[in-house]
Amino acid sequence: MATKWKAALAWLAIAVFGFVLINVLIVVGVVDAFIENMLVTIGINIILATGLNLIIGFSGQFSLGHAGFMAVGAYATAIITSSMPTVFGFYLSMAVGILIAMGVAVIIGVPTLRLRGDYLAIATMGAAEIIRVILNNLKITNGAAGMFNIPALAGWPTVYVLVCLTTLMIVNFARSRAGRAIQAIREDEIAAEASGIDPTKWKLAAFVMGGATAAIGGSLHAVYIQTIAPSDFGIMNSIAILIIVVLGGVGSMTGTFMAAIVLGVLDTVLQSFGPLRMVIYALALILIMVFKPSGLLGRYEVSIRAWFDRKGGQHATSNSDRSE
Amino acid sequence: MQTFLQQVINGLSLGSIYALLALGYTMVYGIIKLINFAHGDIYMIGAFWGYYVINTYHVDFFVALLSSMVVTAGLGMLIEFLAYRPLRHSPRITALITAIGVSYFLENGMSFLFGANTRDFPQAVAQRNYQVAGITVSNIQVLILVTAVILMVGLQLIVQKTKMGTAMRAVAVDPEAAALVGIDPNHVISFTFGLGSALAGAGGVLIGLYYNSIDPLMGMTPGIKAFVAAVVGGIGSIPGAAIGGFLIGLLETGVQAIGLSAYKDAAVYVVLIVILVILPSGLLGKNVKEKV
Amino acid sequence: MPLLTVTGLSKRFGGLDAVADIDMHVDEGELVALIGPNGAGKTTLFNLLTGVTPPTSGTITLDVAGQSVSLIGKPPYQVAKMGLARTFQNIRLFARLTVRENIQAAMTHRYTENFFAQILRLPAYYRKEQLVATWTDALLTAFDLTDVADLDADNLPYGTQRRVEIARAVATQPKIIFLDEPAAGMNPEETAALTALIRRLRSEFHLTVVLIEHDMSLVMNLAERIYVLEHGKLIATGTPAAIQQDEAVIAAYLGGGVHA
Repeated sequence: MATKWKAALAWLAIAVFGFVLINVLIVVGVVDAFIENMLVTIGINIILATGLNLIIGFSGQFSLGHAGFMAVGAYATAIITSSMPTVFGFYLSMAVGILIAMGVAVIIGVPTLRLRGDYLAIATMGAAEIIRVILNNLKITNGAAGMFNIPALAGWPTVYVLVCLTTLMIVNFARSRAGRAIQAIREDEIAAEASGIDPTKWKLAAFVMGGATAAIGGSLHAVYIQTIAPSDFGIMNSIAILIIVVLGGVGSMTGTFMAAIVLGVLDTVLQSFGPLRMVIYALALILIMVFKPSGLLGRYEVSIRAWFDRKGGQHATSNSDRSE
Repeated sequence: MQTFLQQVINGLSLGSIYALLALGYTMVYGIIKLINFAHGDIYMIGAFWGYYVINTYHVDFFVALLSSMVVTAGLGMLIEFLAYRPLRHSPRITALITAIGVSYFLENGMSFLFGANTRDFPQAVAQRNYQVAGITVSNIQVLILVTAVILMVGLQLIVQKTKMGTAMRAVAVDPEAAALVGIDPNHVISFTFGLGSALAGAGGVLIGLYYNSIDPLMGMTPGIKAFVAAVVGGIGSIPGAAIGGFLIGLLETGVQAIGLSAYKDAAVYVVLIVILVILPSGLLGKNVKEKV
Repeated sequence: MPLLTVTGLSKRFGGLDAVADIDMHVDEGELVALIGPNGAGKTTLFNLLTGVTPPTSGTITLDVAGQSVSLIGKPPYQVAKMGLARTFQNIRLFARLTVRENIQAAMTHRYTENFFAQILRLPAYYRKEQLVATWTDALLTAFDLTDVADLDADNLPYGTQRRVEIARAVATQPKIIFLDEPAAGMNPEETAALTALIRRLRSEFHLTVVLIEHDMSLVMNLAERIYVLEHGKLIATGTPAAIQQDEAVIAAYLGGGVHA
């Protein structure tokens, strides 16, 4: 039991250290506005991609509509903060966005999660496109022009804290009863069902959880970028999140972090290449996939607890998860 | 009634383009279970090739069409060889991401080399409109429909009557068993990519002629719509892809005609989801239930 | 009242009677075998009993505290929750999960906590995980899997995979366990160990066992009662001794008589 608390404290220490480090780097001027922007983008991408990895990597459901949930969060925040431009309004809008996204996830998930593999991918993609078309045509969302002058109610510290919180919740979900159930379904749905696991319920749970965190990412995107339009949440945006997941390694949360950071940095570095930027990006993507087909980290996870276990020379205790 | 028939004609013209594209998706998916995201960009390259040879060499339309098919077939086979063949035994999602990478590469490579601007497709065939029973039909629409149907019939003949077609069907059912009876899966897969890409190239030239404008990103949306068409028809099924293509084309023009053009994409996806919920393997797909 | 009662159970697949008009019952604590030639409909019957395939007609009822509850129309996970666990003819493990996780996954419905306890790691979560861990350890020990507990299931030898699958079925805390050809592909030593294991399912875990098996030595050795299926119909039922003498069985299935 002791390693459990040690590991938790170690993670907390790392989180606090990272926070302080970024602060110091901003004060001494190493991190300028440009890099800060990069960090925030990376943070939002982590929130989006860990949720998608839960759906794809852990529950094995190929969802291709993540940007749709992000749009729900972003628009909830844009609309609510336009009449309540306060920090309270922001968090309220985030909560509303999460709830709507969960509702939408249930509405999409109940009929479509029965579908297999690529059929599910294409159905979720379609559902996300329907969301986008609706946003494109509503008055309250200001149609295709989108919403601008969204109050800047969150800076990098908020994003940082929310990255930590959502990751914690998603990892806790993935490494518990729910996580075992969804992974069992991923491996063999028939055997899982014969073992008393309701596949619809648990697939839906992962899908709703992923949708809820995507809404958080969308809310942060709205108040940080301050301008949103339906075209920000199209198929290509869903694919961008998928790329992070696959590049990092499907099923590895550590990999998702790494891929989000690598792609964020790559994107920033490539800014100076002008029109060649996307050509290089595309080539990099193809080459990484051809030479590292299971992603940067495969299924590997960093685990402080396992490290403590090894260091202490203890036999892995029976109640310790493989990694935490 | 007249406007209805008019919309049917328009829908069939658009639908035949979707169908040509959907055939490539469905063949590739049927054989290696890959959603070839770059397929729409092959169509774009086909359109650009047509633009290039007509403007530079002043060739007539059919030379442009046929040469474009040859070029895109070669390109499709080259992409398969370089980007997909190394991933034959990797997770399918990896191959999918690679296909997305290829799509980005083609789109942005073309933008980089030739500029991202839209350009006018040369009028290789002078447009003439005919009034038939109050409906306007252009010679270009007729040309598109006839060409598309000829290509589809040709494809069906290749798949059903030739040795290569038999091999394609064999590899699609069971690649290992096919290899055991002496079929080289690499040849067959390569041929499939060539065939599908040639159809996409033809579609590109036809759409250039129809809409008069082309740009490096022109393949994105039709590519996705065509994939939806292939799924609606039952992915892996060649007649299904053709039916799906025409269906999506008709649906889009229909929704547009009743004044809901802002919702035409949504309508396509609603139909997609409804069809999948009722028929999880599309209209003509086989629903394979796992044996316990 | 028997634990499980089946009357008039039939399944037609496109005009073909895979299983026709089956009447059978299983008493609490019994060890029952289901035998028959290949294609006789044994696995189909298992699939009907565990909810994988809906029957065309007939009834299946389970005795739950003196009440008979129908299992017809219940999805497999509910059937499992009600106490019917099974293994599969072609082993179906959660391949990329460890042995421990395979077993724990089967307790999803047995030990629960609410969602917030789960993602916020509240005390209820740890209390529940403790119960899961205790029961898992007991099963790992009982099925001699402790050494392989943290290996991925698909890396294990065949015989061990069979044991994991049985352990996973027991983890659901069933009343009846259905074993679909547990000895298939095993050598005589492994079969002997399996026979002992199946006996322990009853003595240690107080389970009722129904098994499909082609290995006649194992069947005659273990079963108290045997049902014989041919072309989807029950052709005989009785004790091993009676079945070995049964004319219909000998004619239809065994040809030259039963030799243990």
